[in-house]
Amino acid sequence: MTPLDHIPEDIRRTAAQCRHYAMCKIDYLETGLCPPAKKTPYVGYFPQGRMDLCDALAKDLIPVTEAAVDIISSCTLCGSCDRQCHFVTGMRPMKVMQALKAFLDAFQEKGEKPAVILEDEPLKALKNIVGEKWATNDPAHLIAYANDPFPLADRQMPGYVVLPGSADELVEIVKYADRSEIPIVVRGNGGSVFGFVFTRGIIIDVNRMKKIQLDPDNWSAVIEPGVTSFELQKAAAEHGYRVNTAEPAATVCGNIVCTGLFSTWANVYGVGADHIVDMTFVDKHGTVFSINDKNAPNVFGFKEAVLPSPGICTGARVRMHPVTDDEQGILVPFTTLADAVCFAKDISRRRIGLAVGILGGHYLSTFISPTLALAEQTRDVFSGILEMTCVVSVIGDKYTRRSIRQMVPCVIDSSTLKMFMLGLPQLVRSDLADIVQGLESDGPAYETVLSEEMLPVLEKILSPSPETIAAAVDEDLRDFYEALYSRPHMTDMVWLAMFRIVSARMSRHKHMFAFLIYVPLEPVDVIQELITSFGQIAEKHGIEHDLGFITPLDLGKRGILEYDYYIDHTDSKESEKIRLAVADIEPMVDKLSSTCKGVKFLKYIFSQGCARKENFLYT
Amino acid sequence: MLLARSRDNTAPEERIKALFDWLGPDGIPSCVQIVPGDLNCSGFGLSSTDYHKLASRVDEIIHCASDTSFSERKRAQIEKANVANLHHLLDFAAKSRCCFFHFISTAYAAGKRRGICPEALVDTRSFFNVYEETKHRAEMTAAKRCGREGIRLNIYRPSIVYGNSRTGKTLRFNAMYYPVKILVFLKNLYHQKHREHTRESDEQMGISFSADGTAHMPIRIEAAPSGGINLIPVDFFTAAFSAIMETALDGGVFHITNDTIKSVSDIIHYTQKYFHITGIQAVQTQNFPPGPQSRLEILFSRYTEVYRQYMQDERIFDNTSAAAILNPKGISCPDFDYRIFSRCMQYAEAVNWGNPS
Repeated sequence: MTPLDHIPEDIRRTAAQCRHYAMCKIDYLETGLCPPAKKTPYVGYFPQGRMDLCDALAKDLIPVTEAAVDIISSCTLCGSCDRQCHFVTGMRPMKVMQALKAFLDAFQEKGEKPAVILEDEPLKALKNIVGEKWATNDPAHLIAYANDPFPLADRQMPGYVVLPGSADELVEIVKYADRSEIPIVVRGNGGSVFGFVFTRGIIIDVNRMKKIQLDPDNWSAVIEPGVTSFELQKAAAEHGYRVNTAEPAATVCGNIVCTGLFSTWANVYGVGADHIVDMTFVDKHGTVFSINDKNAPNVFGFKEAVLPSPGICTGARVRMHPVTDDEQGILVPFTTLADAVCFAKDISRRRIGLAVGILGGHYLSTFISPTLALAEQTRDVFSGILEMTCVVSVIGDKYTRRSIRQMVPCVIDSSTLKMFMLGLPQLVRSDLADIVQGLESDGPAYETVLSEEMLPVLEKILSPSPETIAAAVDEDLRDFYEALYSRPHMTDMVWLAMFRIVSARMSRHKHMFAFLIYVPLEPVDVIQELITSFGQIAEKHGIEHDLGFITPLDLGKRGILEYDYYIDHTDSKESEKIRLAVADIEPMVDKLSSTCKGVKFLKYIFSQGCARKENFLYT
Repeated sequence: MLLARSRDNTAPEERIKALFDWLGPDGIPSCVQIVPGDLNCSGFGLSSTDYHKLASRVDEIIHCASDTSFSERKRAQIEKANVANLHHLLDFAAKSRCCFFHFISTAYAAGKRRGICPEALVDTRSFFNVYEETKHRAEMTAAKRCGREGIRLNIYRPSIVYGNSRTGKTLRFNAMYYPVKILVFLKNLYHQKHREHTRESDEQMGISFSADGTAHMPIRIEAAPSGGINLIPVDFFTAAFSAIMETALDGGVFHITNDTIKSVSDIIHYTQKYFHITGIQAVQTQNFPPGPQSRLEILFSRYTEVYRQYMQDERIFDNTSAAAILNPKGISCPDFDYRIFSRCMQYAEAVNWGNPS
């Protein structure tokens, strides 16, 4: 490796593109975690932190410090980050890691010494609480907690980062901060993307607090605040249960407190208070309370306002749900969103299905494609040729699937979806599109292509196999992808819906700026109006945009809608576009909310995620 | 002057240039002037000045734009293209100095019937598909409006048009081509996989291959006891159209059709011979087994459903008026024999059935 005096601009740009989705912090592909980060889970040791460090060093935002030397030296160039990051973003962080090594080599060859950051009183106090290793004021660590891709928040360097190992330590930190009047902010896994979690004071990173204790007798699990959705789901699944969780790298407690948990499983498992049996918090003065205490602050109520959180969550008992052994996924294609909404509402009302979600064309093609180029081609085929504008994704037992087959002309069942997933490169290459385009049937093209007699032909066309899908990625990653897609769960809709490892692919081409709104599913005009307005505002400001998903809630009376804007978070012009767009969006949603019951902007649920759903869905 | 609109981000000029380049090496003749305009819009989307300027320069109008889809669910789109947009053009004709309107329709505007279809406007409300229906409505609309405005009207009714009989060239591979294309697609797909020794599901479809690569594809196609497919090559159509346009100066309705109807059996025979396929057979309706069809038959039937009517068509198009003009000029429609079929298929294969990928 040739030593580098400066980090090249193309490398810095790659580093700056890190979306902070924190997928490098969970072992979701069984590649193993970044080895140094596994031992010392400061964000700085994870690939995400190394990317931030690279960007900061290249911009001379921070000096080369002792921690920077340690972070860079500890990288083994094992390549796990390349595999993990490529799977969701298509990026290859290895070249950043190599550049950091080369940069450090040059630094050391020149005989330069790293800057020593002196300890001050607060740091000493924090170390007294958590131990020498788990508190720092070194900028190489702080930088990893100083920003996120949220385009409307500026970088803000914290003074300290501390990683408590227990609830008691966490409480002591809060008390110390209160006494010393130092502001504190808690970070789950360093994966926030809403610009809320910055401070010039103390960052409390709960990434060492990862205990999970399952209580199958009571269908619940007791967790510490550092437990991620992926980790909890994995533990629950091993015992035949599931939990309703959000993005896999997000912490469960953080999600509950912030917005409440919602996913396609919210159709049956609910939202807000539905997920929790109990939680404990420490308030800003260090007082610990359980939300089930009669005298505790009322976290179950809801007020339409931006409120502070009730405190820092130190633990939670969350609900687990039983799983039957005949669950499978099924996709129901539609040519119009209105038809899809009606169908989703109908099955939700009839209690058919567990997880239910309406996915736009972009979502489906992006979820199942391992590269951006393939996702775009797949979308062209799905939407443009097969006329699948959207699909309703349903997870359900054999009775669910039987009912759905009786309700609609055609479905994509789990084996057909697997065929598509493993044969996508052939789908976009084949003459099928040409044949289908000549079809003059009275039903949508997908009905003919997905007909029973066509399926063996489709299999011939697609030649589905791990080898086929692996051919879509860079040559040096093909063996890895082939092995990966040989695992049954990688094409299992139930597993994918539970662990949600492909949802981060939505941000593959650009950072996704998501707007979430609770909506009534009837009349469908409300949803149409929202979607039209979001589209018009995006067009006005020149922003890429698309419908994300809609999930029915509470027997189809309500739903949650996500509309996504896509921006390059490193481009200040794009940030300005978003700022202007948000200024148009907020009054638009507020106005609709004031005239239409059931329309509720998620921004008003922030920090009220423990609220009873009835208190915000029907008020 | 050639009125054309932009499409898929391609400017009208580029589209027309591409078309002329495709036709031959001479490019756009100097006498052709391209006028950007969109029939979808009232006033063609032109400024009032440009619109009236254009109107002041027009003596005759040839209307050949249409949507040839058959699908009922595309009704709104087809009605828009074939009827509503015609109104825009007729409005323009009425405001211009146009004295002759040439409308290209279809022989199948005759609607659902058996036997002789006259070269005249017919009163019918029964059609096999929305294309036939809208072309019929368009004929009526054009006749009524032209009559009111004192504009002479020629209605040209071609039957099913295929490529150039001398070169095989064609831009589109629908109609006659599509069922053949499906068969070739399936044959090639299964042959390729057969060679690759991949997991066999050929039996499921009933497709097999002999040592010389001939595909056995057992498909029974329902055919009428009489009648068949009325096919004309595009070179005959253009020659006939020009001759009628130059000669029939008082207006009229003209069937540009083939006196020799091609039976489904003949087309099957050509297809099997050219593409080395066996097993396909035409079965007369009364002999067609009522029982369950094979997977392959259902598949073929699904993909060619909209063409089924034209495979067993019993409409006979009277072309007395057209023949009276064309015969003296020595313009006649060639029989769609194996020689022409081969030429068309050679071209289709050479351009991968119009699919550049």
